[in-house]
Amino acid sequence: MKELIKMVVVLTIISSLSGGVLAYVNDLTIDQRDYQNLINNQAPTLKTILEGASNDPLESKFEVKYGPKKMKCYVGVFDGKPNTVVYETYKSGYADKVYVMVGINLETDKIVGIGVTKHTETKGYGADAKEKPDLKNQFPGLDIMQEFKVKKEGGTIDAISGATITSAAVCKAVTEAGIRYKELKPELETQVKQFSN
Amino acid sequence: MAKSIAQEFKKGLWDEIPPFNLVLGLCPVLAVTKTIAGGIGMGLATTFVLVCSNLLVSLLRKVIPPKVRIACFIIIIATFVTIVKFALEAYAYDLYNELGMFIPLIVVNCVVLGRSEAFAYKNKFAPSIADGLGIGLGFTLSLGAIGAVREILGTGNLTFNILGQFKYEATEIFGSSFEPFTFLIEAPGAFVCVGLLLCLMNIVGKK
Amino acid sequence: MTEPFFELMFAGIFVNNIVLAQFLGQCPFLGTSKKMSTATGMSMAVVFVLILAAVFTWFINNLLVKHDLDYLQIVSFILVIASLVQFVEMFLKKMVPPLYSSLGIFLPLITTNCAVMGACLINAGKEEYLFMDCIINALAYAIGFGLALILFAGVRERIILARVPKPLEDASIGLVTAGIIALTFYTFQGMV
Repeated sequence: MKELIKMVVVLTIISSLSGGVLAYVNDLTIDQRDYQNLINNQAPTLKTILEGASNDPLESKFEVKYGPKKMKCYVGVFDGKPNTVVYETYKSGYADKVYVMVGINLETDKIVGIGVTKHTETKGYGADAKEKPDLKNQFPGLDIMQEFKVKKEGGTIDAISGATITSAAVCKAVTEAGIRYKELKPELETQVKQFSN
Repeated sequence: MAKSIAQEFKKGLWDEIPPFNLVLGLCPVLAVTKTIAGGIGMGLATTFVLVCSNLLVSLLRKVIPPKVRIACFIIIIATFVTIVKFALEAYAYDLYNELGMFIPLIVVNCVVLGRSEAFAYKNKFAPSIADGLGIGLGFTLSLGAIGAVREILGTGNLTFNILGQFKYEATEIFGSSFEPFTFLIEAPGAFVCVGLLLCLMNIVGKK
Repeated sequence: MTEPFFELMFAGIFVNNIVLAQFLGQCPFLGTSKKMSTATGMSMAVVFVLILAAVFTWFINNLLVKHDLDYLQIVSFILVIASLVQFVEMFLKKMVPPLYSSLGIFLPLITTNCAVMGACLINAGKEEYLFMDCIINALAYAIGFGLALILFAGVRERIILARVPKPLEDASIGLVTAGIIALTFYTFQGMV
């Protein structure tokens, strides 16, 4: 009996200590981790999407709640009006997730630009989706509220040859962005007002 | 103490060098050794976890009841692995990306749990640290060596850059007419390369 | 389900074979492949544990994400897997003692079998996977593991009869053989 109590006590203490330490380390590093992710993956894409904006998109951001998670949104100010939001969605590709940033004009509901931010697809195949502009150049100007598909699956988007899966994943991610946009539009519209000056 | 601390340290570097002499912990060996940087980075991350968990296990060895020892080891190791993961993500992002899923998988690396069970649980903390450090550095060396062989033969180049401190870059080591064995970078090449290195170790190690 | 059944199964068994393409579960792959009977037993144990682990970790991961406790993922996953393995071990010891004695040291080592942990982490990483996707994916990975292990054991049983140069014996020739088997699986790359 005494041994059993000791076992339970020791296990509980070790588990709670571990939980405590991890919570502390998590708090300690979370800003730096977000920053690294931003600098390494999102910043270049974000700047291309919001080219010509009069503000610094990296600084103009807010968070909205989508499902259980928080979603970071970046704002672009054009002609004095904060009318463009950019956020990131993802879909599974061939080997891992493909992250796509999508910029949407709040007034016209049209796509301003997209960009692949992070992916671990096979070099030379799926990797082209990030480097080659052929895929992402097809999106600007399209209405966000629709389902995007590659031609092979009966859609309208030309896939990069040899990277059909990744191209399809990019399409799915943009579609996902549209689904979120439908749901979050009223909130996004209120949130961007804080950036008008 | 049967062996001195120096001996405990040394044994990890040759006599029991993982993964060659104990065929354990092979998964990261095959997966992250496409480049020398990946190999060394993985080795150092594993070394950190090994030393920390060995230290804590040996300090707590009188408190941990034998029946739940494995559970305790696992929690301790998993905690340090999570810390390493966060640290790499925050301060060495490129490496974090390269190692990917294999950082959390340090937790199931047989080498780490094996040292807790076979050594740290039975020894004082000084030899335990020496043991962790020795085995860890041995592991790092092996991974680095495999990474170097695969990178040099597989791409013809050798580059590494750890935390911006240790930089080395050499391109086209064998000249521009060298056609790299891309086979070695792909999955099947990993098996063959490690198998042949193991064979080489057997020849060198044979008395 | 978000993806077609066949695609998921094919990708899991052949294209992304957990042992030969993703390098997970090497220890039991090399350790239990010397005899066909052990290999079959190990495969069964992994199929069983992997599917159970996928079910449990799916619930746990959802719970963690919901409460913003992602940082406990590694700790909680490994604890669940460790307890499951303990359970399977007790079950086999009572019910199928011959299998228990032949699997020997490698049964507790399923805990440190990265195939199980890895499959759970892959599932957790694909956030759009629904419950059924995770289970099918886990099943496919487990079958892939079994397939690779049994194929490998078949070859290794024959290698014993061959005259292998001394330094290449055992693990060394095993790895080279595994490389050649991996080469055949490599041809599936890009199919799904």
